[in-house]
Amino acid sequence: MSRKIYALLSLVLIASFALAACGAPAAPANTAAPAAPAATMAPAVTATTAPTVAPTATAIPTFAPPKAGQKILKVWSFTNEIKTMAIAYEGVHPDVDVQYTMIPMTSGDYQTKIKASLNTADAPDVIALEASFVKQYVESDFLADLGSLLPDAKAAKTYQFVIDVGTNQGVTKAFSYQATPGALFYRRSLAKAYFGTDDPVKIQALLSDMDKYTAAAEVIKQKSGGSTFMVASNGDFQNLFFANRAQPWVVNGALVIDPMVQKYIDTAKTFRDKGYEAQAAQWGEGWFAGMNDTLKDASGKPEKIFSYFLPTWGLPYVLAPNAKAKDGSSDTTGDWAVITGPLPYQWGGTWVGVMKGSQQMDLAKDFVRFVALDQTNLKNWATGVYTNDYLKKIDPSVPADQKQAAGDFVSSQVVVDGITAGFDNSDLSKFLGGQNSYGGFAAAAPSVNARLMTGSDDQIQRDLADPVSQYLLGKITIDDLWKTFKATVQNDFPDLTVK
Amino acid sequence: MRISKISRNYYGYFFITPFILGFLLFGLYPVINTVTLSFTNATLMSSKYDFIGIRNFQRLFSDDFFWTAVKNTWLLWICNFVPQIGIAMLLSFWFTDVRLKIRGVGVWRTLFFLPNLLMPAAVASLYFSLFSFYGPVNQLLVRMGAMHEAFQFLSNETVARSLVVFIQWWTWFGQTTIIIMAGMTAIPVQLYEAAMVDGASGGQMFARITLPLLKPILVYIFVTSLVGGMQMFDIPFLLTDGRGSPSSSILTNNVLMYMRFSNAQGTIGTASAVGVMVFLMTSVCALAIFYILRERNN
Repeated sequence: MSRKIYALLSLVLIASFALAACGAPAAPANTAAPAAPAATMAPAVTATTAPTVAPTATAIPTFAPPKAGQKILKVWSFTNEIKTMAIAYEGVHPDVDVQYTMIPMTSGDYQTKIKASLNTADAPDVIALEASFVKQYVESDFLADLGSLLPDAKAAKTYQFVIDVGTNQGVTKAFSYQATPGALFYRRSLAKAYFGTDDPVKIQALLSDMDKYTAAAEVIKQKSGGSTFMVASNGDFQNLFFANRAQPWVVNGALVIDPMVQKYIDTAKTFRDKGYEAQAAQWGEGWFAGMNDTLKDASGKPEKIFSYFLPTWGLPYVLAPNAKAKDGSSDTTGDWAVITGPLPYQWGGTWVGVMKGSQQMDLAKDFVRFVALDQTNLKNWATGVYTNDYLKKIDPSVPADQKQAAGDFVSSQVVVDGITAGFDNSDLSKFLGGQNSYGGFAAAAPSVNARLMTGSDDQIQRDLADPVSQYLLGKITIDDLWKTFKATVQNDFPDLTVK
Repeated sequence: MRISKISRNYYGYFFITPFILGFLLFGLYPVINTVTLSFTNATLMSSKYDFIGIRNFQRLFSDDFFWTAVKNTWLLWICNFVPQIGIAMLLSFWFTDVRLKIRGVGVWRTLFFLPNLLMPAAVASLYFSLFSFYGPVNQLLVRMGAMHEAFQFLSNETVARSLVVFIQWWTWFGQTTIIIMAGMTAIPVQLYEAAMVDGASGGQMFARITLPLLKPILVYIFVTSLVGGMQMFDIPFLLTDGRGSPSSSILTNNVLMYMRFSNAQGTIGTASAVGVMVFLMTSVCALAIFYILRERNN
């Protein structure tokens, strides 16, 4: 008898260990995209398969006690970018101690930690919000109204779409220091070989809409004998179609599939079936290998990629660092050019907002103003003033890799107009064979429209990824694709009308 | 004098207090909290929530994704457990057999156990890279002439499932082998000697001596593996997109639960309902194992 009780007890014990995980799921290891900073990219929206895993401890650090009389501001972000500005802020306001916590965003770790901290004493004052989930928070009740900062935004001429993203029902709750219009980067040498010119104006004319882009892909395939691909993965141009829909995903509580979504799938299917796409996984090894010409197919035959769709941050953070092969065997630096491409779009970006429950409301608002709207700060940020030495003078404990190189595209049109000419001879311009990318982005930024963005986008677009992948492989029909997609969306949003 | 005698009787309680406190706080409380949450529409994005009775469970039962997850979890667990216990049994039998006298048992045991020390995140990442479109497996097979061109392995349901099963087997069979070996060495040699004197064959000794005396160990392995298997999460979560792709083929209970937890609203109410179902399923099956394999007093 006692044996039975013992067995039962031990069972309850085991089972409760089993369940303990439900209450507080252990933070999963982070799937970080290699080499690229998680800064502004949105693997959530873009990656169809999980990128390489880089396990990182995400323990919240303990901070040194503040000096007497110092005000504490708790800031959370998913990269160390804003930390640079936080230190600069401390330089201007010695009475403030910014306690900066970085939690990687990959695998939703950052979002999970924020959600778990809502309504608790651990909640930060200021949070950074990535493009893929900023709307969820802007649409929620957790962020404070930052309407008092709108005059600063007006003075800085902040791009309208940046403000639109941070606004819900007329209330502005987040601002960004970046504007992230997208562009198309292509290889000059390949353009010369297959189109007889590498002139950005002529190439733009050749690729000015998606049908022309597809036609050009056929030319490249024919002339290269199938060894050069127009694009590395179909995920690359997904954003273009989503950004140019006429209607958002959800209208009046019902799912809307815009014709542009259908067009994306048709285009992706054409690219797959005709072999215009190298089938590399976005953020995967093959995708990066294509940037420095070390991509080889399974039999060892070299493959080349003609173009990459990347936004402002893609140039300094993704393309330029990966243009040189790790073993030094090849280097495509200087062989790139940038154009607006077939369709205007925007991709990624980091917004900052203030938690409603913050005990340091005025300070937190001023911090957001400094980060996103202060013209001096934005100019310093974009022109490489924040070197490691600069930051070390303010705080000697700054790690050696904490700095901000020149080139990030900022959200203030006033600042952009003032500094564009300064990039004529920058390293990034040399990377682009003499083209001033900053000027190109400045031309593209005003036409970006982000009014369709909603908090459900990320989830709905993830629901589409696997059915599309199965359809492209020819395993399911287009009807099955929609059936699976709709079932998945319905499952994620039980209250949504899905027809 | 008298006081110290009394307190000495209570020493035991002092020693178990840390565990009991830890268990109440990190074991029992989360369980109760999870069960409570499963009857609410709580989300992480709102501070208020209501009790909605069993609506979460009704929704769950009419949800194809849940049944897919349950089916997948069982399939993946059984496909990994059967070969795991079979091979562990065979290896243990060979390693402990006095007549075979295999050399370097310690070395083999260490080698088999090694995969268990690797982090699941690293293992998933390794296999993701190996089997990616531009990965080494494709290169090897195409260059050997086994395939004409590269194949999207991780978009294939059978490959994805097989990889999860293989990784689970590969990381856990060493651990199981060690436990079974410990159980086998604990069986007194005299029993075997006596059996040999009576002319018993190897098979007879295994069936009549080893298996019955190993039963408590087997029950332990069975139940712990079941509990672990029903909660399979890290490898399926990390191998593809964290949503059970391709075609929900490696969507397990806990991956589903995590999806519910980490979606835009953070619907912890529905996530808890999944958790409670996993709990019930595991408990019922574990009890059944105890019942079937119980000690029978003739």
